[in-house]
Amino acid sequence: MNVQIRRLATVFILLYGALFVQLNIIQLFGAERLNNDPNNTRPLYDDFDERRGDIVSADGALLATTVEIDDPRFERQRTYPTGDLFGHVSGFFSFNFGADGVEREYDDLLSGDTNKQKFSDLGAILHERDLTADIELTLRRDVQQVARDALGDRKGSVVAIDPRTGAILAAHSWPNYDPSKLSDPDAARAEEARQELLAADGNPLLPKFYREIFFPGSTFKVITAAAGLETGAVGLADPVYPTVTSYTPPLSTRPISNFEGSSCGGRLIEVLRRSCNSAFTQMAAEQLGPNPMIDMAEAFGFNWELPIDLPAPAVSNFPTDYGSFVAPITEYVEDPFPGPNGEPAEVFDSQATLAQAAIGQNDVKATPILMAMVAGAIANDGLMMKPYVMDRAVDQTGDVVAETEPSLWIQSTRPSTAATLQIAMEDVVKGGTASGLAINGFTVGGKTGTAQLGTPEPQSHAWIIGYAGPSGEPASVAVAVLVEAQQGASEQTGGRVAAPIARAVLEQALRPIEPVTD
Amino acid sequence: MKSRRRSAELGLIVLASAITGGAYVLASLGWSASVPANIGPFLGVVIGLLLFAHLANRWLAPRADPVLLPLAALLNGLGYVMIARLAGDLGDDAADLPGLQANWVAVSIAAYVAVLLFVRRVRSLERYRYILAVIGLFLLIVPLIPGIGREINGARIWASIGPVNFQPGEFAKLALAVFFAAYLTDKRELLQQATFRIGRLRLPEPRHLGPIILAWGISVLVMISEKDLGSSLLFFAMFVVLLWVATEKVSYVLLGTALFSAGAYFAWAQFDHVRERISTWIDPWSVAKDEGFQTVEAAFALADGGLTGSGLGLGQPDRIPEVETDFIFAAIGEELGLIGSTAILIAYLLMIGSGLRIAVRASRTFDKLLAVGLTTLVGVQAFIIIGGVIRLVPLTGITLPFVSYGGSSLLANYVLLALLVRLSDEVEGGADQVALAASEKPTESVA
Repeated sequence: MNVQIRRLATVFILLYGALFVQLNIIQLFGAERLNNDPNNTRPLYDDFDERRGDIVSADGALLATTVEIDDPRFERQRTYPTGDLFGHVSGFFSFNFGADGVEREYDDLLSGDTNKQKFSDLGAILHERDLTADIELTLRRDVQQVARDALGDRKGSVVAIDPRTGAILAAHSWPNYDPSKLSDPDAARAEEARQELLAADGNPLLPKFYREIFFPGSTFKVITAAAGLETGAVGLADPVYPTVTSYTPPLSTRPISNFEGSSCGGRLIEVLRRSCNSAFTQMAAEQLGPNPMIDMAEAFGFNWELPIDLPAPAVSNFPTDYGSFVAPITEYVEDPFPGPNGEPAEVFDSQATLAQAAIGQNDVKATPILMAMVAGAIANDGLMMKPYVMDRAVDQTGDVVAETEPSLWIQSTRPSTAATLQIAMEDVVKGGTASGLAINGFTVGGKTGTAQLGTPEPQSHAWIIGYAGPSGEPASVAVAVLVEAQQGASEQTGGRVAAPIARAVLEQALRPIEPVTD
Repeated sequence: MKSRRRSAELGLIVLASAITGGAYVLASLGWSASVPANIGPFLGVVIGLLLFAHLANRWLAPRADPVLLPLAALLNGLGYVMIARLAGDLGDDAADLPGLQANWVAVSIAAYVAVLLFVRRVRSLERYRYILAVIGLFLLIVPLIPGIGREINGARIWASIGPVNFQPGEFAKLALAVFFAAYLTDKRELLQQATFRIGRLRLPEPRHLGPIILAWGISVLVMISEKDLGSSLLFFAMFVVLLWVATEKVSYVLLGTALFSAGAYFAWAQFDHVRERISTWIDPWSVAKDEGFQTVEAAFALADGGLTGSGLGLGQPDRIPEVETDFIFAAIGEELGLIGSTAILIAYLLMIGSGLRIAVRASRTFDKLLAVGLTTLVGVQAFIIIGGVIRLVPLTGITLPFVSYGGSSLLANYVLLALLVRLSDEVEGGADQVALAASEKPTESVA
C-alpha cells in the first residue's frame, strides 16, 4: 500500500503544481491583459481618487477637470465645466458606472499610467510627482457651440472634420447629457441621474454621431457616382440618362420613383444636381451590378470598424448579399449603357435591392461621422484619413507624451474620380438641392439627402454632406448634418432643414482659431 | 523526541499567532488607517486558543506530528483576518460574520480537544463502521427532509434546527471516510481477487463490492439531488483513492474514472446548472455580466493583486460574490499577491505531506486507510475550490478548509485534524507503546 500512498503524494504534488502554474498565468503573465479587460472596472476604482489630467478643446476651453472635494470617501471629483456641450466626446468618469468617451479611451494618459509617463523620470519613483497628462482635443469649442445652437432641440447629429488630416473639429448629437451628474461620488445621486437619462426620450447617453447608424438616403448617391466613375462606366459627358418619373430594375415589377414624382434625367452633373432616383438606380442596376457597388461602399468605410479614438464605434452597413448571379444585363436590356471596365453589368437575384441601396435605402445605414468622412475623402482627392479627437497629450511639465500623427485610412477613389465628383458636388451647391450651403468667397461642395422611413405616417431623415475651403485651395472642412425624422415633419428635406446648420458650421470652422479667453 | 516535537509545535504556533496578529493589524491599517482597538484582546484570544490546543497535544498526543496544528492555525488565522477585513466592506449584513466565526473557532478547538480526549485509539472507531455508515448517509439526507432542510444559493445542503443552521454533509464526509476505511480493511483481500468476469473485464465478487458501491452511490445521488457538485466530486475522489490504495490495483482508478466520466456526462446532459457551470468554465468572458461574473471578477482580483498583492485592506475583494466563503482564496490572492496565494498552496501541501507520512508509517491497514482518506478529503477539497476559483477546473461550490467562513466546515475540519493528530501519535508509538513501556518501566511518566 505504501507504493500507492507515495504515488498519491506525487499526484497531489502534480495537482497543486498545476494550481501554481495557473496562478502564475493569472497573477503574473496574464495580469496586464486582465487589468486592461474592458469588463474590468477595477482600474477605474483605483484611479478614481487619484489626480487626473484635464481635457481641453483645441481653442483652450476646459472640458473636464478634477476638483478637490470634502467627502468622507473621496478626495477628488471629476467635473465638466461645459456641461452637456462635450458630454458625448469627453464621456464620463464615474466611480459607479466606469467611464466612456475620451475619459475611457485615454484613461492611461490622463491618469499617468502609460510606461512613457512612468519611466520618463526615474526620480519620480523616489519622490511623489504628478505624472498625469492633459489631453488636448482637436475639437473647437466655437464650432461645437455653433453646431449645437444650429441644431437646437431637434434630434440629430452634426460632425465637422478637417478632411486633410481626419481631425474632428466638432461632433454633436442631440439629445445629450451632462457628465458631471454621472460622476457624482454619491452613488444614490449618480444612480438617480443615470436612471433619468436611461428613461429619457431619444437615449441621451448614446453619442449617436458615431455609435448609431441611419439611412443615408440620397447622400449615398455620391458613392454610387464614384463607383460609376471609378469603373469607367460613367463620365461627365455620357451616359445621358432618360428623363423619366421612375425606374423599374430588372427582375422587379416595382418602380422606384423620383422625389415627389417629378421627371428627371440627363448627364451625371444634372442627375446629381437634381438627385434623380431613376438615374442612380439605373446606374447601379444596369451599369454596375453588385460587386463594383460593394467595393466602392467598402472603399468609403462601410462594413469596416471605424478606426476612431473613441470607444465602441458603430459599423456602417452596406448590404453584401444579393443572391446568385442570374445573367448579364444584356439578357434584359437591349444595348445597355456601358458597364464596369467595358463588360456588361452582372444581374443577381436581388438586383432590385441593389437599386434601392444605390440611393441609400434598403439596408444601407451609416454613422453621421462616416458621411462627413465621405465628403472629406472626395474633397481630399480620394484619400480618407483616420478620424481622431486627440491632438496631443501634455504632461504637467509641458512635455508632449503622446501626439496623433494624421494617417491615411483608405484610398477611396483615384484623384481623377474625386476631382470629377468635386465638380459635380460644387455644382449641386451652385444650382441644385444644396444651394443653401453656398458661402461667399469659398469653394463649397455638397449633397443633400432625404431618407424616407417606411413608417405609416411619412417621415424622413434630412441629411446634408459637404465640404468647403478657400477658393483654389484644398478644402479644410468637411461636414455631415443629420436631422432625424420627427413626427409631423414629413416635409423636411435635406436642402431646407439640414443645409442651414451645415452652412453655419462650415462658416465657423473656416474662421481662424481663436483661443478662448474666459 | 516527543518533547522536541512539542517544542517545535509551540514555536510554530507562536509564529502562526504572530503572522495572524500582524495580518490583523495590517488589514486594519489598510482599511481604516488605524491600529485595531482590540488588538490586545484579539492576540490574547488567538494565543490562548492555540495554547489550549497545544497543551492538549502535549497531554493527549505527545508524539504527534508537530506541523499539523500550526498549519491549521495559520490557515484559520489568515482566513479569520480576511473575514474580519471583508466584513467592513460587505455592509451591515456581514457585520456579524467575524464574531460568529470567532465563536466557531472556539467551538472547533474545543471539539478538537474533545476528540483527542475521547478517541484514545482510532481503531476503536473501526467497530462502529456500520453505525457510522448509517449516520453518514442520514446526515446526507437531512437537508432533503421537509421542515429541516433549507436551500441557500441553489444548493439544498443546509439543515435548520431552531436557530442553528449547519451543513450536515461536512460531518457525513468524516463518518463515511471512517466507514470506507474500515470496510476496505476487511475486504481488501477479497477485492484484490478479481474472479467475477464481465467479458474481458475481471472484477471482484459483486457481493463484496456491493455495500461500498451502494454507500457511495447513495451519497452521490443525494448530493446530486441537493445540487452539491463539489461534495459529490470530493466523495468520489476519496472513494476511488481508498479503493486504489487498499487493493493496490490501478484498474479501480480506471474503473472509477470511467464511472466518473459517465456520471459527469449524465449530469451534464440532465441538469441545466451543470451545463451552465461547464460553459462558464470554458468561456466565462461571454457571460461576464451574468453567470461568469464571479469567476471573471475573481480573475480580475487575482490579476490586480499581481506578484505582491495590493496589501491587506487595500484591495477590492468585496466585488466578488461569496468572497467570504467559496471565493476567499481570490481575496487572499488579491491582497497578498502571488506570494500569499502560493503560501496557501504550500500550507495545504505540507498538511497533505504530513497526512500521507502518517499513512506510510502506520502499520495497521485501517490506520493507513483512514489517514489516506482524511488527507484526501482536505487535499482534494482545497484543490477543488482553489481550482474552481482560478478556473483550472469547473467551479463547484465548496468551502476552503480552515480558511472560509462557515461553522460546519470549520468544526468538521478540526475534528478531521484531531483524528489525524491522534493517528500520528499512535503511529509514532503513542498510547500503545507508552502503555507497553509503562508496564515494563513503571517509573517512566506517561505524560
